[in-house]
Amino acid sequence: MAGAIIENMSTMKLCIVGGILFVFQIVAFLVGGLIAPDPTSVLHSTATKCIDVQKNHHKTKWFMPWGPNQCEKISSFDEALKRQIEANDIVFAVHIPFISKEMSPWFQFMLSIMQLDIAFKSNNFIQDNATVTLDVTMAYRNDLNGKWIELAHSLEQRKLKCKLPTPKTQVTEGQYYECDLIPLMELGSVAHKYYLVNIRLPVNERKKINIGIGEIKDLKLTTIFQNGGFTKVWFAMKTFLTPSILIIMVWYWRRITMMTRSPILLEKIIFALGISMTFINIPVEWFSIGFNWTWMLLFGDIRQGIFYAMLLSFWIVFCGEHMMDQSERNHFSRYWKQVGPIAFGSCCLFIFDMCERGVQLKNPFYSIWATDVGTELAMAFIIVAGICACLYFGFLCFMVFQVFRNISGKRSKLPAMSKTRRLHYEGLIFRFKFFMLITLACAALSVIFFITSQVNEGPWTWDETTVQVNSAFFTGIYGMWNLYVFALMFLYAPSHKNYGDDQSNGDLRVNSAEELQLTTTITHADGPTEVFRLAGKEAQE
Amino acid sequence: MRSGLQLSAPATLCLLQPLLLLQVSAYFGLTGREVLTHLSLPRQGATSTKLHLKQCDLLTLSRKQKRLCRKEPGLAEVLRDAIRLGVMECQYQFRNERWNCSLDGRTELLKGGFKETGFLYAVSSAALSHSLAKACSSGRLERCTCDDSPDLENQKAWQWGVCGDNIKYSTRFLKNFLGQKKIGKDLRAKVDIHNTKMGIKAVKNGLKTTCKCHGVSGSCAVRTCWKQLSPFHEIGRLLKTKYDNAVKVFSATNDATGHSELVGPQAHGHSSRLPRSTDLVYMEDSPNFCRRSTYSPGTAGRSCSKETNCDSMCCGRGHNTRSRMVTFSCHCQVQWCCHVECQQCMQEEEVYTCKR
Repeated sequence: MAGAIIENMSTMKLCIVGGILFVFQIVAFLVGGLIAPDPTSVLHSTATKCIDVQKNHHKTKWFMPWGPNQCEKISSFDEALKRQIEANDIVFAVHIPFISKEMSPWFQFMLSIMQLDIAFKSNNFIQDNATVTLDVTMAYRNDLNGKWIELAHSLEQRKLKCKLPTPKTQVTEGQYYECDLIPLMELGSVAHKYYLVNIRLPVNERKKINIGIGEIKDLKLTTIFQNGGFTKVWFAMKTFLTPSILIIMVWYWRRITMMTRSPILLEKIIFALGISMTFINIPVEWFSIGFNWTWMLLFGDIRQGIFYAMLLSFWIVFCGEHMMDQSERNHFSRYWKQVGPIAFGSCCLFIFDMCERGVQLKNPFYSIWATDVGTELAMAFIIVAGICACLYFGFLCFMVFQVFRNISGKRSKLPAMSKTRRLHYEGLIFRFKFFMLITLACAALSVIFFITSQVNEGPWTWDETTVQVNSAFFTGIYGMWNLYVFALMFLYAPSHKNYGDDQSNGDLRVNSAEELQLTTTITHADGPTEVFRLAGKEAQE
Repeated sequence: MRSGLQLSAPATLCLLQPLLLLQVSAYFGLTGREVLTHLSLPRQGATSTKLHLKQCDLLTLSRKQKRLCRKEPGLAEVLRDAIRLGVMECQYQFRNERWNCSLDGRTELLKGGFKETGFLYAVSSAALSHSLAKACSSGRLERCTCDDSPDLENQKAWQWGVCGDNIKYSTRFLKNFLGQKKIGKDLRAKVDIHNTKMGIKAVKNGLKTTCKCHGVSGSCAVRTCWKQLSPFHEIGRLLKTKYDNAVKVFSATNDATGHSELVGPQAHGHSSRLPRSTDLVYMEDSPNFCRRSTYSPGTAGRSCSKETNCDSMCCGRGHNTRSRMVTFSCHCQVQWCCHVECQQCMQEEEVYTCKR
């Protein structure tokens, strides 16, 4: 029985492997930065104000802002006032996208945000805790001359959170409020070419519906969707990564099954990590081009959630299995204290996501944040998940600290050992620390790029070359975690060097490995020497 | 109808007066020194091609501008909107000044190189830039993004995601639209171009960045940001500040390049500095606008507010005080649009007007 590949590999080979992985990492960044466009596009539309002239709503239900059969419009509400048009007869119409463009399934998702331009009037101002009630309908068609087909219809309420930048005086009349964005809808697939949104703001004095919301001047819709080019690059990357991880997974598992002993916990969890990575990688999104699968967005969230949960669990187990104390491990149940928060936190986020994006499958205009109860519930889920995350990182940091303390403890005993042995153990510790470092570097890089993407605005340009930083961030980080999982499976696979009788160059290793095997599997209860225990753990993995 | 309201006015009242009627004359961007007429065209049916061609003809435009106007069906309307927006904003910003941005004497004013001339150039180009971006977002213009390319390429670029946004488009379009003017060697042409660019820049600088998070479970792992136009009042206010701090310039020949360029005043014995691109520049000191002249109708008869500006506006001629009863709407029942139900209240008010 031998150790993992990482122990038996010479430093040079390790450097070569590291170098190759680094090259792939750079390629992942460049693919996003140079080939792909920005990940998302934004479409600004100001709604056209249509009047519902025919009182019988049968003739045509849809109000088009332009083109043939366009609605009767007004340019401003002052005109409506003169013509004695009521608020209930006004329909805000938005066509997505603009004239002469069409949407495409490559856009993957589409979400719309509404903004109201509300002017301050001393006799008509926004009251505290104002809510606006929207009667929204959405329709689609795939042919410019075709009929509109209803996609969704809903009566929605949204809170109006606005403030006036200047004090409320006579002078500031006509000034616009600064309002928070109002999320309007979210579609998990863009299967059709043309979309039409009709919004009414019905007024009912008796029921206090849409009363005290100020004087609305304009309704703007901002639509965000993924860029087709980014989708293509992303799919290509997934399609390339899936077989790579799959092959290394098969290779890894074959090596483990070739051994006489049953796989240990660390090996199992690495394999599970590989599975969850493959689960993310498998490019099922290709189907979204042909089929109208609105649940793709939710499914993507779930896949990512599973991977994150797996990665966090792996880190805990990785540290625990290097703890080097006498207690019996090698059982997942021993980590319930640390894994518990992960499971609980993920469940909370899952329920939250189901409440938001799950319900949106039925009603794209739904938002959990629209109602007070919903907001509290959502906040509760998020806070609990946040607490779980804090707990987890507390445990993780403590465990890492323990491992390093143990290692430094072992290190102080190293000078007492013979030279060859000492070199060997020093190498072991170095490689363990090396891997910890890689993990930290990956995490740090993710955080740095995350922060950069939050601060960054638009692409960076170096003489004529435009680098899409946001796309590079996505592909780079995605590639990085794939490489991380790949490297884990490769370096932590059982080494084949000591199979059979190949003892010519592995004398020391085999001997020590055998010894250590004894100490860890048989005599751990009576406390083997510390050095042996350290090496034993390493060897076993 | 509600009962128990005293003096209730059941009829829906006008909330806003039409701010001004534009039949007189207005000024448009860098189109020329002439006045623009025929602004009160019917708005309906702007889509009909014939009408839009007619509209283009009615606007005072250069040959190139006319061609651009004919090419894009919605443009004539946008140009008209831009004029209206610029004029209204100018009058709003100068409502308490001696020069109230009136249309009388505008032609003469534009021939000069005053601060006011600079402001007019800046505000009209800003209004044009603002209106264009707005028109794009309401779908009134066809070629807003991915323009100037054949249709198939256009659709491909759009799908791939390399089309710019409305504001990028409007800046590029304006460069084309206004850039035709021969770059005159004289100082005045340079000043005009500087102020025009400054107006466009003011709109660009007034953009606000807004972001939306839409990652896993709505987290900020994926975030999209975009730029948004500020209300035009804000841009007007900014331009007014620039007007108040305008820089007087001279023409000077750059020894290194041999070209003449704009140079600001000599500051504390140092060599004169170049005006910044965000400065409003002028060449001549303004007339005082107190009395009727070729530039303005004067301030006689203008109403002012006693505490703040009567002394300066009336140019020391003093003011008349008159008290009158004004009715105004109060205790209103309003809806978000188009319905106001008010009581009429009365109040005594003092009105001050400048003497002749």
